[in-house]
Amino acid sequence: MLRSENPTRPTTIEELLSSSLIAKISQLDVSSRKIFAGKLKGERRSKKRGESVEFADHRPYTTGDDLRHIDWNIYARLDRFFMKLFMEEEDLSLHIVIDASASSDCGEPNKFYYMQQVAMAMGYIGLINLNRVEVTAVGLRDELVVPGGEKSIAGNIRDLRGRRRTHDLARFLCTLEPEGSTDFAQACKRIAMTRRGKGVMIVLSDFLMKEGYETGLRLLVGRGYDVFAIQTLSPQEVNPDIAGDLQLRDIEDGDMAEVTISAPLLKKYKENLSAYCQGLCDFCARREITALTIQTDTPIDTLLLDYLRKRGVLR
Amino acid sequence: MTWATPTLAALVAAIAIPALVILYFLKLRRIPREVSSTLLWKKAIQDLQANAPFQRLRKNLLLFLQLIVLALIILALAQPRSASTSSAGRKYILMLDRSASMAAVDGNETLGKASRLEEAKKQAVELVETMRTPSMFSQGEKADEAMVIAFDANAEIIASFTSDPKELIDAINSINQTDAPSSIAEAYRLAQAQRPNRIVNATNEAGVITESHELDELKGGEPYFFHLFSDGRVSDIDEVRADEIDTQTTFEYHAIGSQTSNNIGLVALRSERDYDAPSKLSIFVGVQSTDTIARTVDAELMIDGVIRSVRSIDLPPAIVDATTSTKTPSSGGVIFELNEPNGIIAGVKLATTGDENPEADVLLSDNEGTLVVPPAKQAAVALVSAGDLFVHSAIQGLPLSRFDTITPSAYEAGRSNGDNDAYDLFIFDGYLPKPDENGTILDPGRYLVIGKVLPPPLGVVDNGVGPGGPIIDWRRTHPVLRDLTLDALLMAETPIVEIPKGSGVVSLAETASGPAILETSDTDIRAILVPFAITKTNWPFDVSFVVFLASAVDYLGTGSIVDIDIDERQITPGRVLSDRIPPDATGVRVLMPDGSRSEEIIPSADGRIVFGPITTDGIYRLRWRGTAGPTDIVEDGTNYRTFAANLLDPAESNVSTMKTIALANQLVTAESLTERKRIRDWWPWFLGAALAILMFEWYIYNKKMYL
Repeated sequence: MLRSENPTRPTTIEELLSSSLIAKISQLDVSSRKIFAGKLKGERRSKKRGESVEFADHRPYTTGDDLRHIDWNIYARLDRFFMKLFMEEEDLSLHIVIDASASSDCGEPNKFYYMQQVAMAMGYIGLINLNRVEVTAVGLRDELVVPGGEKSIAGNIRDLRGRRRTHDLARFLCTLEPEGSTDFAQACKRIAMTRRGKGVMIVLSDFLMKEGYETGLRLLVGRGYDVFAIQTLSPQEVNPDIAGDLQLRDIEDGDMAEVTISAPLLKKYKENLSAYCQGLCDFCARREITALTIQTDTPIDTLLLDYLRKRGVLR
Repeated sequence: MTWATPTLAALVAAIAIPALVILYFLKLRRIPREVSSTLLWKKAIQDLQANAPFQRLRKNLLLFLQLIVLALIILALAQPRSASTSSAGRKYILMLDRSASMAAVDGNETLGKASRLEEAKKQAVELVETMRTPSMFSQGEKADEAMVIAFDANAEIIASFTSDPKELIDAINSINQTDAPSSIAEAYRLAQAQRPNRIVNATNEAGVITESHELDELKGGEPYFFHLFSDGRVSDIDEVRADEIDTQTTFEYHAIGSQTSNNIGLVALRSERDYDAPSKLSIFVGVQSTDTIARTVDAELMIDGVIRSVRSIDLPPAIVDATTSTKTPSSGGVIFELNEPNGIIAGVKLATTGDENPEADVLLSDNEGTLVVPPAKQAAVALVSAGDLFVHSAIQGLPLSRFDTITPSAYEAGRSNGDNDAYDLFIFDGYLPKPDENGTILDPGRYLVIGKVLPPPLGVVDNGVGPGGPIIDWRRTHPVLRDLTLDALLMAETPIVEIPKGSGVVSLAETASGPAILETSDTDIRAILVPFAITKTNWPFDVSFVVFLASAVDYLGTGSIVDIDIDERQITPGRVLSDRIPPDATGVRVLMPDGSRSEEIIPSADGRIVFGPITTDGIYRLRWRGTAGPTDIVEDGTNYRTFAANLLDPAESNVSTMKTIALANQLVTAESLTERKRIRDWWPWFLGAALAILMFEWYIYNKKMYL
């Protein structure tokens, strides 16, 4: 909960993604409850009928159809022309949104580091499966970071595809610094407007936003994206280990709260946190967003191999 | 409820409460911490406060408790106390009557009724408890002060002015009952003596004080508030003058006892021997009754502790004044007559016990009386004379056991052969014995020397005779001279004698030329000297001559006067026991009626002893070792002289309580018995509560149960 005194700042890909983890996640692929059309032919089935080897359906022949796709066996039996339709394989957009506001730079283990690791792992899975990977960092900055973008976008890297772009992704993640506040709604609006195609969107944040996460998430839903919200909380946020008469300062907006820690207050805080997380889950469930709350002391591989697979993010 | 030191408490509150609040805020300097979001914390606080009753107070429960503690301490500082009827700074004089009548028990003693003195003490203690005590912190505010005076016939300051209630209550409780009559005048004077004298300032025309002097008679200073705890039976209450402040009297009378109480008591007891037959003894008993019905009581006469006779006394009902309901006691009496030549101790006891009515005789100490009756002694007198008729014929008429006229030569012969020991008194008429080889003129004994000048060392220096004249002054209180007047005595020539310096000679009567009648005494010798010749005066023809001779024979010959009324052996409680014993007496002590012994008394050079004042009735026996007096009893080498102390006071035996007493300047009615409000200090409770809350706070602090 408290700001990390010496937060881990990854500088190499090894710090973000260990070889052992690579070994564990190499077989995984990003899953989607929908089948998305992609720009390039990838390893993913598209709703479009295409040129893959997988049979999809028959349809009557119309003039101008490619004669190569006439099913001559049907013609022999029925004396009518039927076209053989095949599933077309398309690539998938994997859009990872990472919260790079100052509030992420808290907790032990550090929340932002944890989110970086998750983003790296997910991005790696996307890259090796020839998905189109895009990472957007959300955070209000004083100046424009992304040319032609928004101040609420703290960084963006797009159109990564293939294993060789792994280092580009790692480099991008390493350059991110958690600072400032967020304008989540504005950032989401921008993301929704600029994203292309269809795919899977993973939002990594603590979702502790005073202005509310609802507007932002609502903007991300739709337009063919399957949204996953991964709420990342530090263990100290779940079980505060503070005591005494404190003046709590919000790391983002400097807002003060004077508290005298007591058993009833802690009880109330936990109740409120639980209700807040539940509220996020309920909100997401109503909008077909898969929500997941994770503590930063949960090992990354457990998250990827267990939690996310169970929820269908990975397969 | 009143406050002893409200100003101090207000001052402390003005400083301490803001200080505490400031300290509290200083103490709560919160530790700043940066957190990811205050969203949930603020919500939690809001939820908690919204759910909590008295949220403002609970937020600062510790401050709230500390404020309560502080408030309690400040309230304790203000010294709250229950309301008092008295105003601060008064000076009280508590006068408690401890006289005989205060021993009366109104009602049945077995039903828990205490004596009047106990009741008076109780009421006085209650009064002391209502006094404003000094407050602990305030110097300016005056506390009430009180002085306790106990009085009977005498007055004694039991506690001088103090504001310490404990000291006063201890003093009040130390007052003991006496059997003495009551007299308030001395108590009043004692109290007034504490006040400063009034200072009178003389001013000139400009109003500047030019001269100031104190007046002993007028008392100034603060007024005294007198509280008299008595049954009102005080004989000289009209000598008390009460001040008035704003038309309110400063004298309060607390009537102790019941107006309807009755008493039967001895008020007179005396004995008398028949003049001609001294062995015939009459004992007169006077009894007084305040009962409104006729009563008959038995009077028991006890001689040396054995009942000799019982006689009934009829007492008529006392007369009650219908308007003032005051009683005029009735009286009755009886005379016991007996033949008793020896010295006895006669006791008279009234048998009033066994009466059904507990208020019929509330005072028991006046039911008994004792008399010391000396033996019927008559003197053996020898007149040594050359043959003067005047003295001889005057002595002859006196009741004497033996009277002989002997010649000077017979006297001189008797000096050597011991015949003179048979006489108690020698009267030398115009004769003086010859000095023996030691120069001694008078042998040990009693002498009346007429017409001759006894030379020093025992006598006086003879300077011849003067021109003659009357007696111009004489000691009217002396036993020899108190029954006569010497106005008619005229002398043809007056003796001119000179009393040697340092001698024991005392002049009893004087002419213009000097002493005319003298008394001289030595260890073994006592003599009355009449240095002028009777024949050259007109005295033998005056009745005072015979009375003089009779008194002198009585005084010198018997050493005591038979009439009991003037006997020094009868003393009244409240007075001192004073007598004269032989100067060689040692180990002088008084044996009390209860059997205890007094401290050793050191007699003065002439053998005078003073003991007392006597407080209780009964027989007092003076004992010493050494020479015995003529009437003293000698047992095992120790001499005893007996004294009887009796109350015998009609005023004290009239025990019905007076509801109104008349002072010199006003009538004071007993205050109604409204219960006085007792001052109770509450500050210890406030301090205790503060401590309890402090401990509770500590508990809460440790348990972290606050907010």
